[in-house]
Amino acid sequence: MPAIMAVKPDSARSNPDSTPQKRRLRSDTTAAQDSPISTPVKWKSPRTCTTSSPKTPISRVERDCSENITKSHKSPIKKLSDSLTPKQKWNPLDSEQMKAVKEAMHVSTAPPNIVCREGEQKRVLEFCQACVEQEKAGSLYVCGCPGTGKSLSMEKVKQLLFHWASEAGHQQPNVLTINCTSLAKTSDIFGKILGESQPRKKVNGATSPLQHLQNLYSQKPQPSGTKMMLIIADELDYLITKDRAVLHDLFMLTTFPFSRCILIGIANAIDLADRFLPKLQSLNCKPMVVTFRAYSKDQILKILHERLMDLPYTVFQPQALELCARKVAAASGDMRKALCVCRSAIEMVEAELRESSRNFSSSIVEKAFLEQQRATAPDVLEKQEIDVVRLDHMVVALSKTYKSPIVDTIQSLPQHQQILLCSAVKLFRGGKKDTTVGELNKFYMEICKSALIPPVGILELSSICRVLSDQGLLKLGQSREDKSKRVTLCVDEADISFALQGIRFFRNCLQ
Amino acid sequence: MGRENTVEEALNLLRSRLCNPSFVFKPLSDSPDSNYSKLKFIISSSVTEACNNSILLLGPRGSGKIAVLELVLKDLLLEFPDLISVIKLSGLLHSDDNCAFKEISRQLCAEHQLLFSKMASFDDNSQFMIAMLRECGLAHKTIIFVLDEFDLFAQGKQRVLYSLLDAMQSVTSQAVVIGVSCRLDADQLLEKRVRSRFSHRKLLFLPPSKEDLQRLLEHILSLPVDSTISHDYAVEFNAKLQKILADEKFKQIIITYMDSDATVNHLLRFLFRAVSYMDLGSGFLSLENFKTALSNIQRQPKLECIKDCSILELHILVCMKRLEVKEQNSYNFNSVMKEYKSIRASFQMSEYYAWNICLRAFEHLLQRELICFTDNRGQNQSVEFRPAKLLISSHELQQGLKSYRSCPAILLKLMDREV
Repeated sequence: MPAIMAVKPDSARSNPDSTPQKRRLRSDTTAAQDSPISTPVKWKSPRTCTTSSPKTPISRVERDCSENITKSHKSPIKKLSDSLTPKQKWNPLDSEQMKAVKEAMHVSTAPPNIVCREGEQKRVLEFCQACVEQEKAGSLYVCGCPGTGKSLSMEKVKQLLFHWASEAGHQQPNVLTINCTSLAKTSDIFGKILGESQPRKKVNGATSPLQHLQNLYSQKPQPSGTKMMLIIADELDYLITKDRAVLHDLFMLTTFPFSRCILIGIANAIDLADRFLPKLQSLNCKPMVVTFRAYSKDQILKILHERLMDLPYTVFQPQALELCARKVAAASGDMRKALCVCRSAIEMVEAELRESSRNFSSSIVEKAFLEQQRATAPDVLEKQEIDVVRLDHMVVALSKTYKSPIVDTIQSLPQHQQILLCSAVKLFRGGKKDTTVGELNKFYMEICKSALIPPVGILELSSICRVLSDQGLLKLGQSREDKSKRVTLCVDEADISFALQGIRFFRNCLQ
Repeated sequence: MGRENTVEEALNLLRSRLCNPSFVFKPLSDSPDSNYSKLKFIISSSVTEACNNSILLLGPRGSGKIAVLELVLKDLLLEFPDLISVIKLSGLLHSDDNCAFKEISRQLCAEHQLLFSKMASFDDNSQFMIAMLRECGLAHKTIIFVLDEFDLFAQGKQRVLYSLLDAMQSVTSQAVVIGVSCRLDADQLLEKRVRSRFSHRKLLFLPPSKEDLQRLLEHILSLPVDSTISHDYAVEFNAKLQKILADEKFKQIIITYMDSDATVNHLLRFLFRAVSYMDLGSGFLSLENFKTALSNIQRQPKLECIKDCSILELHILVCMKRLEVKEQNSYNFNSVMKEYKSIRASFQMSEYYAWNICLRAFEHLLQRELICFTDNRGQNQSVEFRPAKLLISSHELQQGLKSYRSCPAILLKLMDREV
């Protein structure tokens, strides 16, 4: 996604077609999605607070997407028929099919239907529609953990808003999408807003862009009817400076009498509006807050199914998908993680296939030499066919994603480094949390003596400490002398005991 | 004469091999389980399937992360000549956003033969990078970003990482981000939104196993039989080498050496030393070379200092040790002399050294830095009154006394008693 994208309303629809894309996106063909219709309010998610909405707003949105109404009427039936007919088997050896599956599961592929976020999208859309109708300014704050579909939903809302505006006869608003990480200075955002609202006018050098905007919004507008401007500011917390002036001024722009801004801010912190914009509350212009909660297990499962629905073959065993959804929902509820784990599982299947083909090719050469050619060959071929991603693939993929490399690394450390970690654990058991290299050396030598291993000298020991601190297992302080550097343990004692429990000496030592 | 030249040539060949990481890591990369093949598979599938990916290479310093990465990139550039361009950044140099974007733009310009302007602003550079990513995506070219010292990029606001990983979230760009770090918890250092965009793939570089080590030694130290070096000499050299490698003592030497640091780089340093000790007369490696190399690497300089001390100096050191054990934290030359006198009296030692001779011995110890003064200011006071302390530990002193050529038994007894 380009950091700054100024979309002119008339080219909004033609944009996807003008730049030739190497992959045909499904979003090209259906400009407005059928989500308001295909997923009715009946579906209740246990987590999101669905606003009890009367029928009228939905039907109005229905009317507005009239061009696709026939298509969207067809699609629920089509989906139903899909689920009734059994799907074909997936052939992972076919590179085309593998590519299609991986594409469907990739994070950057925007799905045609954005499910599980209808409630939030409706709220934002209604807010924008109200602003455009009444030609009033307003501000909205969208918050939620990473990977919960905020930016994706805002894109969708933008498209829906354009459709609705053109259908309802209002002027389509200008849109400015900014990712605040791309700003060199936080106050540059005003320059960009000014550039968007008055593209042809040259900015006067005397007044800053902010002042210009403030003047603009305090005066009565030209009768030619200036359009509303929709500003979507992503990663809003990058605008937080020490004196919080920029953020404040940005939201204050919407409070001016003749302001034309609809401001939507996106960030992760839930209480950003309360903490950093206290003055707005006194003016009674606090932004509306829409929270995108982390996905629950059912939502993740639904989204994964949605992505796989268009493929004509079954790729995953249902238990595998459920395990993935459960694990990710319990950990963070981050959709990107779920997609990453699924792709990782697909790669496990690929690796297994390569391994078996290698074994097979070597074994079939053996067979050719040892036996006569009989009908055993096709049997062997059939035995190694893998056509779904099974539960064990998913288990391996999950463990790879969620396991920390610390235990593996400690187990593969050379002996003296392990003894040093062990002596650090014993030293810090008494309640002390840090010590010097000299003290550690004494403990280390005691342990070496008890194991009848010749200890290394102090020079080697300080270089071992440095190697361990580079890896993040210890933390080494600064000092002029090697011996008086302070040492703390960065790894949990339980991890070290668990990693070293296979060796009897350490087991006894750490008891 | 010809023989000497052959030997020299062989020695040069061995030494140049040890300094060339891509040669060293080749045998470790041949098995299908190795990090080389895993990395190659991930990158090549990203290139052929035109999807974005990110991966982290973790392992202690010197375990060959960059070497294996270079091997993979070299092979991929041969396999897909026009589909890959590589951008290299280092956390030590480019952790600041401005520097990073400038460097990325400069490398992209150099790669595609465009003119790079040093006056370009931060905005220009970042827009250029995004535009280039889009163009390369349309042209089916993958840009591989190699971020060395990845944990240093995770300091501050992590803007560079966020921009790179965010650009990879869109369909239009085709990029692979490879982070290389020695910190195991490098991905815990990332902010949560950067971590969410990172794909959590990690490749651990663990120390080589015993079989791998054996294969590595053979691969590096065996001379090629069909090169410019004379055939008979090479065959004889390899035969002798095989005998050494199979020797139990040699295996013990390697195990002792690798016990403190098991990375491949550490081993290479040892091999370089051992190879340099090769006797040019006989022209073959022997076990002695390896033993000498080990003892020279595992030096203990303070012990060697003690070996050169005189008996009187040893007496002074032992007296200072006893004072420390008696919990006298600050003592000076006078207190040491008192202790010495009391020992002499209690053990009825016959030698008697004058005061100024003892003082000179004390100054010798100061010069050799086996002891030092604890106060930094006082050049005013004379040597006898300034507080001093030992710079070697009691363990080292004991070891030094034990290995002294003719240490008086009394000193050993004194050390043993207190310790």
